Amino acid sequence: MLRFEEVTKVFTLDHARSRSFKEAFVGAFRRSAPAAERDRLVALDRVSFELAKGETLGLVGPNGTGKSTVLKLIARILEPDAGRVLINGRVAALLELGAGFHPELTGRENVYLNGSLMGLGRSQMSGRLARITEFAELGPFMDMPVKHYSSGMYMRLGFATAIHVDADILLIDEVLAVGDQAFQNKCRERIAALRKSGMTIVLVSHSADSVRELCARALWLERGAVLAVGPTDDVLEAYHRSVVAHEEARWAAEHPSDSAAHQPAEPDRYGSGEIEITSVELLDGDGRPRHAAHTGEPLTVRLRYRAHQAVAGVVFGIGIHAGDGTHVTGPNTRAAGLPIDVAPGQGVVEWRVAALPLQEGQYELSAAAYDSACIHAFDHHHRRFPLPVRAVGTADRLGLLALPARWTHVAGGRPEAPG
Amino acid sequence: MAPATTINQAGREVRLRDRLAEVWAYRHLVGNLVVRDLKVRYKGSVLGFLWSMASPLLMMLVFYFLFRVLWSHRVPNFHVFVLVAVLAWNWFNLSVNAGVRCIVANASLINKVYFPREILPLAVVLGELVNFLLALPVLMAMIVVSGIPLTVHALWLPVIIAVQAVFTLGVVLLLSTANVYYRDVGMILEVVLLAWFFLSPVFYDYAQFRGTLLHLGGLSMDAERLAYILNPIGTLIGNYRTILYGSVGYVGGIPMDVANPPGPPDLGFLARTLATGLFVFAVGYGVFARYSGRFGEEV
Repeated sequence: MLRFEEVTKVFTLDHARSRSFKEAFVGAFRRSAPAAERDRLVALDRVSFELAKGETLGLVGPNGTGKSTVLKLIARILEPDAGRVLINGRVAALLELGAGFHPELTGRENVYLNGSLMGLGRSQMSGRLARITEFAELGPFMDMPVKHYSSGMYMRLGFATAIHVDADILLIDEVLAVGDQAFQNKCRERIAALRKSGMTIVLVSHSADSVRELCARALWLERGAVLAVGPTDDVLEAYHRSVVAHEEARWAAEHPSDSAAHQPAEPDRYGSGEIEITSVELLDGDGRPRHAAHTGEPLTVRLRYRAHQAVAGVVFGIGIHAGDGTHVTGPNTRAAGLPIDVAPGQGVVEWRVAALPLQEGQYELSAAAYDSACIHAFDHHHRRFPLPVRAVGTADRLGLLALPARWTHVAGGRPEAPG
Repeated sequence: MAPATTINQAGREVRLRDRLAEVWAYRHLVGNLVVRDLKVRYKGSVLGFLWSMASPLLMMLVFYFLFRVLWSHRVPNFHVFVLVAVLAWNWFNLSVNAGVRCIVANASLINKVYFPREILPLAVVLGELVNFLLALPVLMAMIVVSGIPLTVHALWLPVIIAVQAVFTLGVVLLLSTANVYYRDVGMILEVVLLAWFFLSPVFYDYAQFRGTLLHLGGLSMDAERLAYILNPIGTLIGNYRTILYGSVGYVGGIPMDVANPPGPPDLGFLARTLATGLFVFAVGYGVFARYSGRFGEEV
């Protein structure tokens, strides 16, 4: 269990504080207290939340809004200035992989040193050494000073040690973003397993996917205050909308006299506007425009665009979200291997599916045109188009998907090979 | 067993017993840090931990050459006389020197992991104690070879060591905290320790001042007594010397080449030094406990 009660944390910025006697003496004779006031940074402002045992919480928000401060308060590296933090159980902090390792010591010695940093004795760590060595895949290297390790080996050992100390609460700060792909996957799998085994996890990550994958709940921090806390998808959705609105507002400020299509009145649309997606249509199998799509039947999504200049390597994409915010799919032309060079003027891009596997419900469509790296948006309509799906004549109506499958039943024996 | 609830709150009163219990729970860390620092110190040297013995011996040779050969100082077994003091002084000096920076130097640990911060000063003082203990067999051998009797009074050694440990730890707790806020402390300390070395009876003896009266504003004070009262390290060195080496006969402050065999320590002074040590420790720990919660953002 973990509880923040009205926690406030204020940092005094470095240059505002005396570091030497000289500055202290000078400061004592200077009546400039307001200057000191000015150089205070409120990292957290009366933050309260609670996390039950076995729950997983993702902290999201822009940089410098106190996410890491929250972790450090849980880890007791920092003390709150007001309010209090209640922590029930042993905390393992993955704030930096291999924190506390000494380069001159061997891998084995560092494992023992790290264990004792968590309050575990030599005998307790001895029992875990084999598992740590195995997970880190460092069998022959455990007696080598870690200064000779590659950075990958160093991080593997750091991670392996940290997850083998039997903590009740695991704090993870962006560390998943390091190491090679195989190691990242291994870490993810292990964290997912720890989560299943009932460990309480608090994760700070800029990757919405990591948060969604590992956390049932999310907390959105902005400028030291909690803006939202709740189910991950809801919070991420709200956070994303705010990011989009921010970008839109900034864009509008930079382009005060642009076309009406890009007014900040459209908070779910953004992009630089070289290419505009002018309409999105749903077509049935015969190419006729439709209001709704039908489960199990052909569907075409037609994007019409207008390009104001020639752009090479444009990526068009669509996204389908379920009503509850679940991201169902997000195909694009780059993933499909269709390079598109756009000339000034108009054009049409179509996405066809032979048998729509979506169950009946109210879905939302996004449509976007991006640069070849899928980083810079020319035009992005985020969940702006309704995609109603109707099921006609099917009884299978649970869940999101209707997969093309067949049931069989054989009484009194083994099922036979389908024929 | 349900895990205990920890409360992270500024200015929360933590009972001394709970603090010490937490330090005890982290005792393995103390051991590991001591071993780490020793290993790292001797890494890449040929003699390795033999340096714990070799370096005080070399210091002893320097003093021997200076005072016995150049100045024909007439203190019997001057090498033992000096070595006893050098070992005790080194323990204190090295502890304070390393201790003042122990919080700042371990910033990477303090920023990333929680553990009771007093572990760091404790590990420094205990690490230097290990060095001191490693060199003791050499001292004992030297005593026996020089024909100085090993007496039952040598059994006071652990008591004197304990008093020195308490005093040193108090000083280190105080200075390491101060150094977090004012890095000048480390700079000033070099000079202070140099002066403290000369003011401590390492290569001389406070007994040389016996009978010299100092007049301080109508108060007459024996210089030897005053020196012992003002300098706890001086008292400790004097006591080590009394139980292991003995005492030198002085006439008018000049050593007379006669030594009395080891005797019991001056219990009055030892008790007073213990009281001083406990006081310094209480102040040092109090200050440390008050500020250690903020080390995470200060270093």
